[in-house]
Amino acid sequence: MSQKEEVKVDEKLVKEIASLARLDLTEEETKTFIPQFQDILKYFSILNELDTENVSPAYLSSANKSVTREDKVEESVPTQEFLSNAPQAKNDYVVIPRVHIEQ
Amino acid sequence: MHELLASRKVSAEELTRSYLERIQRLDPQIKSYVTTTGELALEQARDADQRIKAGEGLTPLTGIPYAAKDSLSTRGVRTTCSSKILENYKPFYDCTAIRKLKSTGAVLLGKNNMDEFGMGSSTENSGFFTTRNPWNLDHVPGGSSGGSAAAVAAGLAPFTLGEDTGGSVRMPASFCGVTGLKTTYGRVSRYGLLPLVSSFDTIGPMARSAYDVALVLEAIAGHDPKDSTSRVESIQPYSEILKKTENLRGLRIGIPKEYFVEGLDAEVDASLRTAIKQIEGLGAQAVEVSLPHTQYAIPVYYLILFAEASSNLAKYDGIRFGLSERNVEGLLDVYLKTREKGFGAETKRRIMLGTFALSAGYYDAYYLKAQKVRTLIRQDFEKAFEACDALITPVAPTTAFRIGEKITNPLDMYLSDVFVVAVNLAGIPALSVPCGISNGLPIGMQIMGPHLSEEMLLRIGYMYQSQTDWHTKHPPCWND
Repeated sequence: MSQKEEVKVDEKLVKEIASLARLDLTEEETKTFIPQFQDILKYFSILNELDTENVSPAYLSSANKSVTREDKVEESVPTQEFLSNAPQAKNDYVVIPRVHIEQ
Repeated sequence: MHELLASRKVSAEELTRSYLERIQRLDPQIKSYVTTTGELALEQARDADQRIKAGEGLTPLTGIPYAAKDSLSTRGVRTTCSSKILENYKPFYDCTAIRKLKSTGAVLLGKNNMDEFGMGSSTENSGFFTTRNPWNLDHVPGGSSGGSAAAVAAGLAPFTLGEDTGGSVRMPASFCGVTGLKTTYGRVSRYGLLPLVSSFDTIGPMARSAYDVALVLEAIAGHDPKDSTSRVESIQPYSEILKKTENLRGLRIGIPKEYFVEGLDAEVDASLRTAIKQIEGLGAQAVEVSLPHTQYAIPVYYLILFAEASSNLAKYDGIRFGLSERNVEGLLDVYLKTREKGFGAETKRRIMLGTFALSAGYYDAYYLKAQKVRTLIRQDFEKAFEACDALITPVAPTTAFRIGEKITNPLDMYLSDVFVVAVNLAGIPALSVPCGISNGLPIGMQIMGPHLSEEMLLRIGYMYQSQTDWHTKHPPCWND
């Protein structure tokens, strides 16, 4: 997409993004988001005023070079303690519902 | 307080009991705590009393009660990020900053309310309740560390740990009239901090004075093998340095003209100008500087936030921890229903916008563009710091706004962060110091410096506070 074109936010786009984001939005939420997203993206388009052709992106905040830790075995969290926060657990495993559903 | 404890005029247990009692009495109005630790706090206080009695391993924080923003993991104590999705989550480990405070013998009173996962500037986005500004209960305390600032202002904790992603320590500190430090990125380990934006997040102290902030910083800062982005440079004896400081001679203070513009409240502007004069009176020299890309900081900050936050929040899916909707058809439905039920409106909005900014076809125009402009904003600061040692600006264009005033217009809320987010884009430290009161609400001054200049920022704050009494002013509920 060219940077100059304005994105048109509509129900289809919002629903597509919701599906990517794994959010089951209500109809009301979808309706509220459409004009809000349009406003926000419109305001953010002021970035297009700047020529950044020869600017490199600033991904890293850290001043450190790549740091490695000594490869040493340390005490780890006991499995049962780790699982104490799991919604459902059995033996030493986290339980999840079935992945494949018969259509 | 340390002197009262060390001379054993007061025990840590008595001190802790008095805070717990005060919280029980006043916090139903202020609503700064999500969780109080009660019995656990008293246990830690009794341990501190043993240490004081034995005279072993004493530090200025031994026996001093404190509270922490609810995004800092606390072993066995509920850590919610003020989100319904983590309502019953109890971490099995302490974050490094909490572990370090524990080892000094400080006493954890509880966990403070915040905007859900740090997403907001008013604490109205908490999944549980809105914290109120102790100076005027109809106004917001700022956000996202609003509970931590309100607790210090109302005398419900002598100090707190906040977390600053885009002003979340400085803005509430300013709105509530307390002193708050946004640390250099990496100065305090992020291990055990529930992340919002991994490349912006910083833990920092909030307290009544720059001196108290220095004492806390000494205890929590430093390299941590468990956070590869934590800085390896050694920390300084901040509080000792402050005690020896007598003036600010030789310091050049930059006043960025882009921060004194239309939209800045007249009383905030006047307070800042008076404060700058007083700092000049201490020997510093003020110079005008320019940060030309200031107006682009908001879109850059929010685009990067949306993207990193949507990715960081993907782990809340109802499988390993947190809320889980299990009365469903299959795995995909667990994700969809859990996230729909567990996240608040602002969190969903930001996850959506982040997913959008990172998605195929839009990545270059939004996320990549933002990261490039971030480079320009960083270069602005590098250039400015060639002409001066520190920068002084307002923290916010106005004093605390009313509850409900901006919550229905997300863009309006984002714009209230206009003076604070650039600091996070550059990773530099900044101190928020009370410098006035307008219509009964505090005004804050922001002092920014280059990476790892905490010592200088605290020196400026400390000297300013030695000449002024704004930091000693209390909200009406102080004497209740």
